[in-house]
Amino acid sequence: MLSCPGPIRMLSCLVLGKVLSCLVPTRMLSCLRQEGSELCAYKDADLQRIHEDAEPPSVREDAELLCAREGDSWGIFTFLCAALCNLPALPALNCTEELGAGQSIQKTYDLTRYLEHQLRTLAGTYLNYLGPPFNEPDFNPPRLARAERVPSATVDLDLWRGLTDNARLAANYRAYSRLLCYLRALDGQAGTAELRHRLGHFCSSLQGLVLSIASVMSSLGYPLPAGPAGPPAPPGTTVAPNDFLKKMDDFWLLKELQTWLWRSAKDFNRLKKKVPPAVVTLRLEARGF
Amino acid sequence: IQYERVGADVTMKCGSMDWDATVTWTANGTDIDESHLNGSYLILKKVDLTQSGQYSCYEGSSWHLKYQTYLRVGTPPKEPLLMCRSNNYPKGFYCSWHLPTPTYIPNSFNISVIHGTKEMVCEKDVFPKNRCHIRYLQLFSTVKYKVTLTVTNALGKNSTTLTFDEFTIVKPDPPENVVAKPVPNNPRRLEVSWQNPSSWPDPESFPLKFFLRYRPLILDQWQHVELSDGTSHTITDAYAGKEYIIQVAAKDNDIGTWSDWSVAVHATPWTEEPKHLTTEAQIAETTSASTSSFMPPPTTKICDKG
Repeated sequence: MLSCPGPIRMLSCLVLGKVLSCLVPTRMLSCLRQEGSELCAYKDADLQRIHEDAEPPSVREDAELLCAREGDSWGIFTFLCAALCNLPALPALNCTEELGAGQSIQKTYDLTRYLEHQLRTLAGTYLNYLGPPFNEPDFNPPRLARAERVPSATVDLDLWRGLTDNARLAANYRAYSRLLCYLRALDGQAGTAELRHRLGHFCSSLQGLVLSIASVMSSLGYPLPAGPAGPPAPPGTTVAPNDFLKKMDDFWLLKELQTWLWRSAKDFNRLKKKVPPAVVTLRLEARGF
Repeated sequence: IQYERVGADVTMKCGSMDWDATVTWTANGTDIDESHLNGSYLILKKVDLTQSGQYSCYEGSSWHLKYQTYLRVGTPPKEPLLMCRSNNYPKGFYCSWHLPTPTYIPNSFNISVIHGTKEMVCEKDVFPKNRCHIRYLQLFSTVKYKVTLTVTNALGKNSTTLTFDEFTIVKPDPPENVVAKPVPNNPRRLEVSWQNPSSWPDPESFPLKFFLRYRPLILDQWQHVELSDGTSHTITDAYAGKEYIIQVAAKDNDIGTWSDWSVAVHATPWTEEPKHLTTEAQIAETTSASTSSFMPPPTTKICDKG
């Protein structure tokens, strides 16, 4: 896949509700809707168009695809980011001086904490919707083979310690990208309007996390992991043989998501301590040296 | 050794002696009254703990020892209390247990730890510590741990089970070496510093956050400060001249629960020596004449409050 081009132009925006900085990555994640389930693919063509001076209407089109739902505030802001990114005046703006990798790691860390908090309410509501035994606190089912498709945060202790920064970030990126796909599939089938609203909001935030991780990787000079090879069909498409097993899938998805958010907090803690020399080189490049 | 329940009726036979033989029973060397005998059998009704001891049976005239036993009166075990905690995350956790009421007889404990389908080994501490340790092989597990403790003694057995997630049992030890000092020339400040608990193996990757509470001894209400990093803090709103009590607690930044409060430290903010103690002030002035400062410098005071 494409690696980041030399001088990286980034833009900081403010996100409604929480003051987070979103760095528009050099790649943009597009989501195509297909009959209730979704395939997530990376549109490298977008990258080309943004960096050449394309007309605003085509940018708008792409931005709309960025997980835009009706009334999705995140979508609106992402659109604005994308649109602004296209203005020729912007290359003069060099926000990377203010936003080092260290700060974006901090912001990504904050995002995982925010999401973990959000998930607690969401999971509670969703498990109640699934009904017993899923909403019982001591429900402890054995892990079925079909649950293996959901990316697991579980890792050998020494292995986890020894992960390189790149591997650590890539693992997070891959996991959340896939989890996001699965969650979107969930959203398509969720019962109540309230649940759909909550899920939608959570998906937007999770989308933000994926983008945030991508931007950290870009700023550190790491290539983004390849898009899901032959997009993994979310459990929604391979229909679970019965209603109970479908609910089990949902249960494990939420459990793994929660564990991943706990793990990411620790992953980003470790990353925070390190300031990779690669950042310095990139900054010099950005100044046209 | 013979074990019997509290409140039970105990019948002891004098070995192979016939029922109608003449015997004498003793309890811990003291003769037992004939009223407790049924022929040569010793009958103890509704035994209590005081009746534990050595029981011996002697043939009537020859005073040959025919039978001897130790009687231990006790109870079967009640459901044990089990607690598991990780104070050294991510290395592992330990489980500790005890019986709510004593049984007065020896008990043996068996603990099993199951993680999903795997049985893990819990390394026991040396008796009489009722504790065992487990090392994590995997981190960030979605599968719960199931710990079962079984207590067994001669009169019965009982067990209890705990099921938990890796994250929920994380609870560090309290911070160590809490030191509170007054700040010179600042009557409303106290400088508090502490250290990470030594049992926490990796504060770099698993940073702790802290909770500090303080109050003057004369008041009941605590003031609280939460600190997300650093192992020191300066209190700036202390009441001048009042002795304070200060404690600190720790918690992993993201998971688990707060530690217990640290050992309390006492400190009083710096106070200026009162000027009306003329003898001291005069001495201070004469000795500090050479240093020539506006105020009598506190450091030359004879009685230093520290």
